[in-house]
Amino acid sequence: MTNTLPHLLLENYRKFRDSRVAMRRKALGLWHEYTWADSYEHVKYLAYGLMQLGLKPKEKVAIIGENDPEWYWAEYASQAAWAVPFGIFVDAHHDELEYYLKHSDSTFVLAHDQEQVDKILSLIDELPNIKKIVYWDPKGLWALEDKRIIYFYDVIALGKEYEKNHNGLFEEMVDKVQEDDIAVFCYTSGTTGRPKAAMLTHKGLVETARNWFSVDPWYHSDEYLSYLPPAWAAEQFLGITGGLIAQITVNFPEKAETVQENMREIGPQIIFYSSRLWEGTASLIQAKIADTIKIKRWLYDLFMPVGYKAADCRFNHKQMPLYWKVLNLLGEWMLFRPLRDKIGMRDLRYGYSSGASISPDMIRLFHAMGINLKSLYGLSETGINVIGYEDNFSPDVTGKVLPNSQIRITEVGEIAIKSQSLLKGYYKNEEAFREKVRDGWFYTGDYGYIDEQDRLTVIDRIEDMRELRGGTKFSPQFTEIRLRFCPYIKDALTIGGKDRDYVTSIINIDFENVGKWAEARHIAYTTFVDLSQKPEVYGLILEHIQRVNRVLPYGARIKKFVNLHKEFDADEAELTRSRKIRRSFVEDRYSSLIDALYSEKHQEVIEAPITYRDGRTGMIKTVVTINPVPEAPRTEPTGEKRP
Amino acid sequence: MENKLKVDNVSLSFGGVKVLTSVSFEMEKNSILSVIGPNGAGKTSLVNCINGFYKPQHGTILFGDHDLTRLPSHKIAKLGVGRTFQQIELYTGLTTVGNLLAGRHMLMSSGMVAGAFFFGKARLEEVKHRKAVEEIIDLLEMEHIRDEVVGNLSYGLRKRVELGRALAMEPALLVLDEPMAGMNVEEKEDMVRFILDVYDLKGTSIVLIEHDMGIVMDISHTVIVLDFGIKIADGAPTEVAKNQAVIKAYLGCN
Repeated sequence: MTNTLPHLLLENYRKFRDSRVAMRRKALGLWHEYTWADSYEHVKYLAYGLMQLGLKPKEKVAIIGENDPEWYWAEYASQAAWAVPFGIFVDAHHDELEYYLKHSDSTFVLAHDQEQVDKILSLIDELPNIKKIVYWDPKGLWALEDKRIIYFYDVIALGKEYEKNHNGLFEEMVDKVQEDDIAVFCYTSGTTGRPKAAMLTHKGLVETARNWFSVDPWYHSDEYLSYLPPAWAAEQFLGITGGLIAQITVNFPEKAETVQENMREIGPQIIFYSSRLWEGTASLIQAKIADTIKIKRWLYDLFMPVGYKAADCRFNHKQMPLYWKVLNLLGEWMLFRPLRDKIGMRDLRYGYSSGASISPDMIRLFHAMGINLKSLYGLSETGINVIGYEDNFSPDVTGKVLPNSQIRITEVGEIAIKSQSLLKGYYKNEEAFREKVRDGWFYTGDYGYIDEQDRLTVIDRIEDMRELRGGTKFSPQFTEIRLRFCPYIKDALTIGGKDRDYVTSIINIDFENVGKWAEARHIAYTTFVDLSQKPEVYGLILEHIQRVNRVLPYGARIKKFVNLHKEFDADEAELTRSRKIRRSFVEDRYSSLIDALYSEKHQEVIEAPITYRDGRTGMIKTVVTINPVPEAPRTEPTGEKRP
Repeated sequence: MENKLKVDNVSLSFGGVKVLTSVSFEMEKNSILSVIGPNGAGKTSLVNCINGFYKPQHGTILFGDHDLTRLPSHKIAKLGVGRTFQQIELYTGLTTVGNLLAGRHMLMSSGMVAGAFFFGKARLEEVKHRKAVEEIIDLLEMEHIRDEVVGNLSYGLRKRVELGRALAMEPALLVLDEPMAGMNVEEKEDMVRFILDVYDLKGTSIVLIEHDMGIVMDISHTVIVLDFGIKIADGAPTEVAKNQAVIKAYLGCN
């Protein structure tokens, strides 16, 4: 069995040549198709070209760009040339970029466009190892004369020239790639400390995809939309590796802004969103429904309960009574199908969610519409190990372990994983590897539990679990994802600790949805700051917090909250690039506000430094109101299961 | 294409009001020239003379070998002078693509009947022009608003569509009347980037009216300063910035 990516590519090429489409991308308003032969040629010539420019085995190749066929080709070509590729998030700041390029000892950078090339050129004096920067979108770089940069298709041309005297070399090179060779580096998102580079082998990537497909088969005819950043391990496992193994067509959207539109044009069977994107889609749907004409809203209100009922029956393996079935069928044609069509998910078979965990309410919502949304669990270091099985699905649990992976829970509740896809090590960090991997088990640092049906539920990072002064344990993230289900709340930070008596929360309102809500009620507002501090908006948010409080254990309920005057922002390091809150940093930054939440104050003045997009900094001063959440009667929650 | 612009001794008055008094300048081809000056100095009137909306009473305007002074504006457009307006002038009911295609109207030659039945030449032509339009959409990063009705777009985006429409006619000389008025810093930076991209890629000469001095000084090769219809300075940005008359016109004292 073929166990390396370049080998798989070569096999697919030999099998399909021009008879099947490997990739499709939209450019200049049209979808352009690349067959397996096109893909193979691009990879071959690029590999030759890079070698001509001085790429040596074991060297590292950084790739920074939006999802594009060139991204994929760059990875396969580097691997074929025995080098190690790795991805960098496109919105990486100068210092982040410098860290990645230095830490990895990169010698080549494949950069998307002018923006990325400019960033790298501004750092180039610090990076003596870089031999060439290759860009694939020439826009804005026409006039730039610089020996260190070269156009992607000029490298391809170099490779074509080279082939004339070296026919068949590519196949020889590919044959020498071993399954235990390092295929790719994945920098872990690093909620703490500097990111570490997990070294993943070809075998690890391939096995993850194969194990996955033994549970959720993908078919040749499937369309996959590549949207998650390939710098992220998830896209490595699915699009880059899974695409080769399942021999599906991978589609690339025209621009990040046109994804919705492109989804509709493609109608993919498989998509993979982060939980944030699912949340975004849900609030988009809810906002559009609130905006639409009466009859459509009426249909939505009429059939959604039917959809929920049908979904719940499926979850509990109950037969639905005949009249409910009829109603559901009516709903399918009058509401669910057109609705799914609008968001491009009409023919979706699997909607996967990764990243921070997703709220059960969210899963139920999508299932009610007929969208098979399932969460999965895994880490860059271990591959994907847990997935929702079709026959044993529940929105409240994460899922069951995949074949060839093992999971156990330690005494302190930590999840440990053993799998075929375990990383080979961290680049230049033996110590971290020894600390994380003991006796073949990878210790994830995540808190979770396994139920009587062998299903895993992931709660939170252990280090993020908190204990109040009374000894009540709670998970801030558990509360936050439930808060975020509300379309008016974009983000939330839940606070509590050994020195605190109760739980409080800092809320980021969703500007667009709250804005529309305010407009519909003739509440005048000017800016985000103004809107967030309106008493009516506090009332709106309060209502939702009370709703969430009802499913939380008594001691973990939110007692006070404040609407923050700004959104948490990755550019200010408040969020990671995958939009997880950097908890300790944010808590530190808003320490005076948090102190106020635990005092008798009703208002607090915040002075916060802000960074503009162009890098300048400034101070803003705002008064925010602190709101108590009135006590709800003391009852233990029902319905929601807690460890 | 010969696209050197020469304005010679142009005077314009409305009744007794003198708007432009003997304005002369020459523009090197493939360059960016900015026209600056206080409000009411006659900047827009000057560019209106260039593309034929106003007819100056005295003087001539030469574009290459052609005398623009007495030509109607649609003929001037055919010679390759495109422009955008200070107040946005788009077909608000059409989509972005529709507006850009309208900008290429004068480059289309198939007849009404062929167009109505969409056969033969008309079809080929449509494909060709749509491709050109898509290239502009790509250049100006308007993919996400391709099929949006222009009336629904934000001000900054409409300005971008207007630049796109002016580009659609493939001008040799592009006149931009305050393309960045009313924009925030980020939108302005984008716009400057687009203008420079157009200049780099197509070699289009650009006449720019702009109030943001930072931008003017950054991107222009030549700056002309007007004050009450009289040209008071002319030269490289650094020279003009030091010119006493200019400082006086802007600040009102020495």
